[in-house]
Amino acid sequence: MQLIWQGFVEALRLLFGGDSDIYEIALRSLVVSGLALGIALVIGVPLGGVIAMTQFHGRRLVVAGVNTGMAAPPVVVGLFVALFLTRNGPLGELRLLYTTWAMVIAQVVIALPIVMGLSLAALQQLDAGLTQQISALGAGRFQAFRLQLLEIRVALLATVMAAFGAIISEVGAVLMVGGNIRGQTQVLTGAIVQETRIGRFSVAIALAIILLGLAFSANFVLTAIQQQGRRQA
Amino acid sequence: MSGAAGLRDGRPDHGGPAGDSEARGSVLTAEGLRVVRGGKTLVAVESFALEAGEVHVLLGANGAGKSTLLKALNGLEPAQGDLVFEGSVVGSAAGRLTLRRRTAAVFQKPHLLATTVLRNVETGLRLRGAGRDEARRRAAAALDLLGIAHLADRRRDKLSGGEAQRVSIARALAVEPAVLFLDEPLASLDPPTCRSLTADLLRIFARRAMAVVWVTHDRDEALSVGDRVSFIEGGRIVQTGEVGEVFARPASAAFAEFLGLETYLEGHVRAGSSGAPGLLVLANGVAIACNEAPEGPAVACLPPEDVVLFAAPPPERSTSLRNVVEGTVKAVTPAGRLLHVVVAGDRLEVGALVTRAAFEELELREGAPVVAAFKASAVHPIPSHEHRRR
Repeated sequence: MQLIWQGFVEALRLLFGGDSDIYEIALRSLVVSGLALGIALVIGVPLGGVIAMTQFHGRRLVVAGVNTGMAAPPVVVGLFVALFLTRNGPLGELRLLYTTWAMVIAQVVIALPIVMGLSLAALQQLDAGLTQQISALGAGRFQAFRLQLLEIRVALLATVMAAFGAIISEVGAVLMVGGNIRGQTQVLTGAIVQETRIGRFSVAIALAIILLGLAFSANFVLTAIQQQGRRQA
Repeated sequence: MSGAAGLRDGRPDHGGPAGDSEARGSVLTAEGLRVVRGGKTLVAVESFALEAGEVHVLLGANGAGKSTLLKALNGLEPAQGDLVFEGSVVGSAAGRLTLRRRTAAVFQKPHLLATTVLRNVETGLRLRGAGRDEARRRAAAALDLLGIAHLADRRRDKLSGGEAQRVSIARALAVEPAVLFLDEPLASLDPPTCRSLTADLLRIFARRAMAVVWVTHDRDEALSVGDRVSFIEGGRIVQTGEVGEVFARPASAAFAEFLGLETYLEGHVRAGSSGAPGLLVLANGVAIACNEAPEGPAVACLPPEDVVLFAAPPPERSTSLRNVVEGTVKAVTPAGRLLHVVVAGDRLEVGALVTRAAFEELELREGAPVVAAFKASAVHPIPSHEHRRR
């Protein structure tokens, strides 16, 4: 009990004492996951839209693949991204392994099925009559998609939350493709692993508090917007 | 019906099946229109023509294919065949988009977007490239037209069913469509809301040079709003014509039954004797005085509201009631504020509508003796070759 208590006190001292290392790690976490989230949204929402709005051969297989991808273990994603980026791999020329870009790529791969799957599900739950009415109003393909996204904006925010929560707290993939190099590729989760392993519990607790705080505030902001959206729906 | 009927080109309508879609003044025509889904033919219309300014009702039972036909006509549903809108062939997806951008549709459910009423009404205009100010101005005018300007800032969950449907109609009218498609627009509304909206729609139709395709399963609605009507059965148009004409002379047993004209007579027309213009002789030898019609095989319907009931045979002086059936009351069923009575004679059964007061006065219990009578003019024989059998 003593250990935990001391750990908390020391953690708070580090947090409010302005330990630049800790804040640098936190900032890197935010940038890597924020970037990955943005890329996943830009690619995943239109892809989900295409799957929702079109009928093609093998569509069920694609949907099943996306849904499986939503539950893919990060270590497996890490393994495949590492295989592609390793010096002798297909993309080895790019020399991206053990850089923050490799971590961004891995997190995009983790977030993409989540974004696709949830936006696809939300679009499919739209009333078919409403979709038809949008067409009847004279909407072309892209106009129709834009109006449909506006209709599912609350569900899209839930998608953003789920995807961000998944990648900010993920540890397996970033360790494997980033290497957990302090000052270069170490993010919050990797740092917590390392500090715990060497017994610096107070630093680990401080990092954990930041991670929880980030996850909480991101969710808090999104929930607030979502509630606002629900009132307006 | 509506004042818009005056825009028709004065061509005589007849109760026969649609045929002359090449008529001048057609806004939208379809030839050999077919919608096939999953190997099943949902719509197979040989010919359809929507004339400028008319309210054309597509009437039929649930599942007859009316809504699918409407979607094929307004470009929501790809269809085989020739669809011509304002002189241009609608073939490709781009052609269907152009068609949708020149027309508007309102469905049974209002399908409002999750935003304010005003923004909803602006949507169609914005999608068609109108500027922000123009869209706002025309949307406000459309709200005014439907008498719902005060709802402009409401959101969809704060509207009643009737208000929401008015918004949907305002949204459709705001784009000033060449054709307005209405798919059961009143089906979800309560009777008073329905009546006031119908009155407003007729007033608007009279003021605008727009053609209307109105889908309904309700024959009274068809009668009160339509200029012309097409009866749809099994995805086909079985009869097209001016509403009054078609309702008086349904050309098939199924249509007659749908219209509630359940006394369906089939026989041969002979030249009439003194007083009656024609005689319809049924297979069992019963001769019915009827309107003038070409001699030969024919069918006719007897509207139950044209049948009068008596306790005893009517006196000789009421000569206009040429047809008299003496029999007994076979069945009595409520029909709204009236009662529907089936009178079974020796060789002929007829249905009649009576008021509840008359029912009491005549003591029409089941099995009671009763006399049914109807005028020759209530029976319009249609030569059999004119009506289509599938």
